[in-house]
Amino acid sequence: MTIALAILTVMPQIWSNPYYIHLLVIIGIYAILLLGLDIVVGYVGEVSLGHAALFGVGAYTAGVLTLKFGVPFMLAVPAGIVVTALFGLILALPALRVNGPYLAMVTLAFGTIVQIFINEMTFLTNGPMGISLRKPVFFGHHITALDYYYIVLTALVLTIVVVHRILKSHLGRAFEALRDSPVASDCMAVSVYRYKVFAFTISAALAGLAGSLFTYSEEYISPNTYTFELTILFLLAVILGGRKTRTGAVLGSVIIVMLPNMLSDIELFRWIMLIIMAVTLVYVITALIHKTHTWRQFAVPVLLVGSLLIMGYQINDIIEYRLTIFGLMILFVVYYLPDGIMGFLRAFVRQYRPQWIHKHEIIREHGDQEHVWTMPTQKRESQDSLLEARQVIMQFGGLKALDNVDLQIAKGTIHGLIGPNGSGKSTMLNVLTAIYTPTAGEIIFNGQVISGMTSSAIASIGVARTFQNVQLFGEMTAIENVLVGLHHAFQCHLFDVMLHTRRYRRQEHETLIRAASLLQFVGLANLANEEARNLPYGKQRLLEIARALALNPSLLLLDEPAAGLTASDIKELIGIIQKIRDHGITVILIEHHMDVVMSICDVVSVLDFGQVIAEGKPAEIQANPKVIEAYLGSGGAS
Amino acid sequence: MQILLQLIVSGVALGMIYAVIAFGYQLTFATSRTLNFGQGEALMLGALFGLTLVGHMSYWTMLPLVLVFGFLQGIVVERIGVLPALKTKSEFGWIMTTISLGIIFKNTAENIWGKDDLKFPSPLPETPMTFMGVNVLPMEFLVVIGAVIMMLAVETFNRKSIYGKAVVATSNDRDVAGLMGINTGLVITFSYAMSSMTAAFAGVLVAPLTLTGATMGVVLGLKAFAVAIIGGLSSGIGALVGGVILGVAETTTGYYISTGYKDVPGLVLLLLVLAIKPAGLFGKTSIKKV
Amino acid sequence: MRIISKAIITVLVAGIATAVAAAEPIKIGLSGPFTGGSSPMGVSMRDGVKLAADEINRKGGIIGRQIQLIERDDEAQNERGVQVTQELIEKEHVVAAVGFINTGVSLAAQRFYEEAKIPVLNNVATGSIVTKQFLPPEFPDNYVFRTSANDTIQSAMIVDEAIVKRGFKKVAILADSTNYGQLGREDLEKALAKKNIQPVAVEKFNIKDVDMTAQLLRAKEAGAQIILTYGIGPELAQIANGMAKLGWKVPMVGSWTLSMSNFIDNAGPNGEGALMPQTFIQVPNTPKRKAFIVAYQKVYKVDRIPSPVSAAQGYDSMYLLAAAIKQAGSTDGVKIREALENLTARVDGVITVYDHPYTHDDHEAITMGMPVMGEVRSGHVVYAHEEDKKKGVAVKAKAPATGGKK
Repeated sequence: MTIALAILTVMPQIWSNPYYIHLLVIIGIYAILLLGLDIVVGYVGEVSLGHAALFGVGAYTAGVLTLKFGVPFMLAVPAGIVVTALFGLILALPALRVNGPYLAMVTLAFGTIVQIFINEMTFLTNGPMGISLRKPVFFGHHITALDYYYIVLTALVLTIVVVHRILKSHLGRAFEALRDSPVASDCMAVSVYRYKVFAFTISAALAGLAGSLFTYSEEYISPNTYTFELTILFLLAVILGGRKTRTGAVLGSVIIVMLPNMLSDIELFRWIMLIIMAVTLVYVITALIHKTHTWRQFAVPVLLVGSLLIMGYQINDIIEYRLTIFGLMILFVVYYLPDGIMGFLRAFVRQYRPQWIHKHEIIREHGDQEHVWTMPTQKRESQDSLLEARQVIMQFGGLKALDNVDLQIAKGTIHGLIGPNGSGKSTMLNVLTAIYTPTAGEIIFNGQVISGMTSSAIASIGVARTFQNVQLFGEMTAIENVLVGLHHAFQCHLFDVMLHTRRYRRQEHETLIRAASLLQFVGLANLANEEARNLPYGKQRLLEIARALALNPSLLLLDEPAAGLTASDIKELIGIIQKIRDHGITVILIEHHMDVVMSICDVVSVLDFGQVIAEGKPAEIQANPKVIEAYLGSGGAS
Repeated sequence: MQILLQLIVSGVALGMIYAVIAFGYQLTFATSRTLNFGQGEALMLGALFGLTLVGHMSYWTMLPLVLVFGFLQGIVVERIGVLPALKTKSEFGWIMTTISLGIIFKNTAENIWGKDDLKFPSPLPETPMTFMGVNVLPMEFLVVIGAVIMMLAVETFNRKSIYGKAVVATSNDRDVAGLMGINTGLVITFSYAMSSMTAAFAGVLVAPLTLTGATMGVVLGLKAFAVAIIGGLSSGIGALVGGVILGVAETTTGYYISTGYKDVPGLVLLLLVLAIKPAGLFGKTSIKKV
Repeated sequence: MRIISKAIITVLVAGIATAVAAAEPIKIGLSGPFTGGSSPMGVSMRDGVKLAADEINRKGGIIGRQIQLIERDDEAQNERGVQVTQELIEKEHVVAAVGFINTGVSLAAQRFYEEAKIPVLNNVATGSIVTKQFLPPEFPDNYVFRTSANDTIQSAMIVDEAIVKRGFKKVAILADSTNYGQLGREDLEKALAKKNIQPVAVEKFNIKDVDMTAQLLRAKEAGAQIILTYGIGPELAQIANGMAKLGWKVPMVGSWTLSMSNFIDNAGPNGEGALMPQTFIQVPNTPKRKAFIVAYQKVYKVDRIPSPVSAAQGYDSMYLLAAAIKQAGSTDGVKIREALENLTARVDGVITVYDHPYTHDDHEAITMGMPVMGEVRSGHVVYAHEEDKKKGVAVKAKAPATGGKK
């Protein structure tokens, strides 16, 4: 990147055609916006159809402030950032409460509303007549186009550094986590909602920066620029360039700025299509020779490229088909290049030189025994029962999954929860961790009523869990998974992250050691840098426990931790659970492996059809006829 | 008072158009939990295709042909845009593909029919009829009647025929319907075909009232979105009520405040509904099992 | 011998070089909306300019060089106009430009021509301030010229027709939200004020608006007897159709854009009788006009020119520019401007005969009294007043400026 920077700094001194300098400025401005958009689309995985409108908000904030209120450049640009971030916040707050394509719709509506307001509020924005202004004056020196180029270049470099730092920090991990498994994320005290809003706000701020810079670059802004077509262009740039990479955002920006130029020159278009066709054919033929793919898989892309080539020779005026080409490019990228050009290049390079490509940062910290445990930070009431469920009813339509369940979990015990399939065990855990809201009843934890709190709030007061169906953050490494659990340990601001202050670096270092120690505790130290989805099933379950422990819980809920484990793994598991209890953490254990239940549980509750049918010491439960009947049916004997 | 009545009447006619398009959104959302972001373009293609046909035949002969066209267009959208995207299991996929198909359709329409807006000949006389001092165009009547008939037809189909039952089953639980031997893939294709068909129908209904051109679908599609969300993505009545609310809000804002702002109340309502009751006024909130 | 052959070769090479250099075409920028609602104007203007350029090239070009038109579509969008203008100047290196249909586009973009000292002839844009954007002392020389009838003239004519000739007292103004519409509205209000009349309703609409019911209802409620318009074809048609839908038919008088083909076609019978000022009506009432119409119809294979005014003004602008370049003897922007401001040769145009059309401070080729009122009848634009048609035989020319350079 330093080489590129050097070239970009020196080049305009040698070759200073204002037209091309201007193009480079636009590329830089768009790249700033795209870096922000990538956080929302690439990392968090939501579709925003309103970034052109946010861009417009930034542009008009700067424009209106300068023209109507005489605000200088150095104030107008930050104002643009802040105002646009606010808009983004207001937009995200309602839209991200629910799942599904709602953000897309909301941002689409927002984009339209913004255009309407800019158009109509002529007293402020001059409406369709637009705002004309000149580049700023610093200390009597009127900024020229060339000077402005350097300003934008600096802004771009700063943006890349800041975004990079954010994404490599615990914030970036939070973004990835909430995409991989929103449920687990919430239960690890990383509130999905809050971080989605945060991500969107950051991207809005960057869009605002880009917009403000745009106003001074163009010296004329009007409402027509911030259209749906521009938003689509931005999205195309992000996915074509390659999501989750900084280079991808810059590459995407280059493509969409140069695209209209390429498309207006039919000869150039034909040349480019010829080159693409040649490259495709080479790739296809080598793949066929090496028998890595069948010809069927190539039929459609080859056909697509071929028909574009033919079309290039048939029509004379490609500008008219510009939008069709965009549309086809989007289709192509969504189906065949989901990781964009950068993703494709990286995969390609990794085939031949795997050591050059790191998908994840290799963490080399080692843990030790003493860093496994830290004292939980909440106040403990002196109650004997840590958790109490009172008359909990959970009704799904007509089905009562939990029917007036009363449960008391004593502090420092391992409390088993068993019952035949469908009896409501997992439902109980989900109610405890607020994944479901109980139809009736109360849950009291440590003297505090928690029914009604959000999952992430409950997690942050000391209730951690694992899942029946493993909910790891698959694309992240083992140690990164644990680091997400340690998210609460980062007591620093966004600015600490951006500036890499000492406070941030110290906390990062401490949590790394803690995470490594936790992995060592569950015996996964040598797999720290493996992607979680690549781990064998048994190890995945252990990883979930390590991650849950990272929350410093006083109550740990384990949902069938022994499922799918071999006998020796189970022994290891029992040892781990006992050590956890020895350290003072209360455990609720759902299990089907009776030997596990019997060997470590202090108390066992039995559920059947949503009701507690028995409760007591393991040996009593084993002999209880109602329990036997529930598992084996009437008329059977164990 | 008369003005208000006039505005309400125009608003209702307008709202029915929105309702029919919103109905289309509901059809696909029910079976596949996806929406066709290019629904407006389906309407536009129906209108332009109808315009070409109406040069050679009467409006009424043209109607069934446009319905067939819409049906086929929906199949194309589903096969190219939705089916492969559903396999990638990310929302981003089908959102982007339906958007890009919409863009492609719009651009192609511009190249075939030109970028200018054209006049669609009205099958009914263009002089307004007057009731109690309020002017209503015969075409506006037709719009309301046509919209209601179309929605009733689809609803009856869903409830009475065996194919309709398959659609309802798939919307309730896709996996179980599959296990019961219903080809859910085909059902989804079918729902897209029906959705585009209703959109195309809406296109030829609304075309004589406004100008027909490649860009006519964009704003209509967005407003119908708002209607679908406001009324509830799972409720047909919701679409009707939502459409009327939006249409009347639009005409009254246009008159009493300013025409520039007439689109705003609908969009703001959309944002409010999403903030407060995302399932819509008539929708049911469902609980996801983990 | 060697020296002589070397000399001959040098001369030959120099001669060829100069010939090659001389044969280098004169690049002239041509920008306008070739797509979208304004396209009838843009396309007609372009075709008129091309017609003129081809005629000139067939006769040997200007100063021995051929004209090369570099066309760019600004889509009637202000920021797009800015982009294409910068492209024409920086990338294509044009020596002069003709074009600009939409006032907003012109106002946003022609600054670059002024800064680069490249003359630009607005051949259709009518916003009054277009030629007044760059005045001394800040700008000692103005590089913006115009061959169309500006809105000060047009609004005076509109008001004259509505108030004086037809005797209406209650007028409503319907204008679009672009620079064109809003600046035109201001001109109308000023002209009305001169006659001591205030409009009973002033309404606004956006480009691509389809439903004008609200605005028309408000005008009707206010008791308007006539509607004055400032907009472009598609929306004007919607006004006409909207009136029919409301069953309220009052006369429509407005700016020259009521002659656009997409107004006439989309309004159909509802557009009959609309009145507008025109510099040119497609009626062959002089030999020059007849030649122009016939040539246009032949080359572009149409019967009715989509926007006759745009075509004629485009044609004339090319001839004016050519005359200036010929007089300047070079493609230097400063010299071309000076030549335009002191044009010695008479230019025989379609609209009129140009005799010293410009001076240093007056860059308007058309003055009050030159345009006539046109009327939409049976799908064509004809002379509204018979006497204009007859007078049209003697082509009205701009009165020569009193004295030379000011």
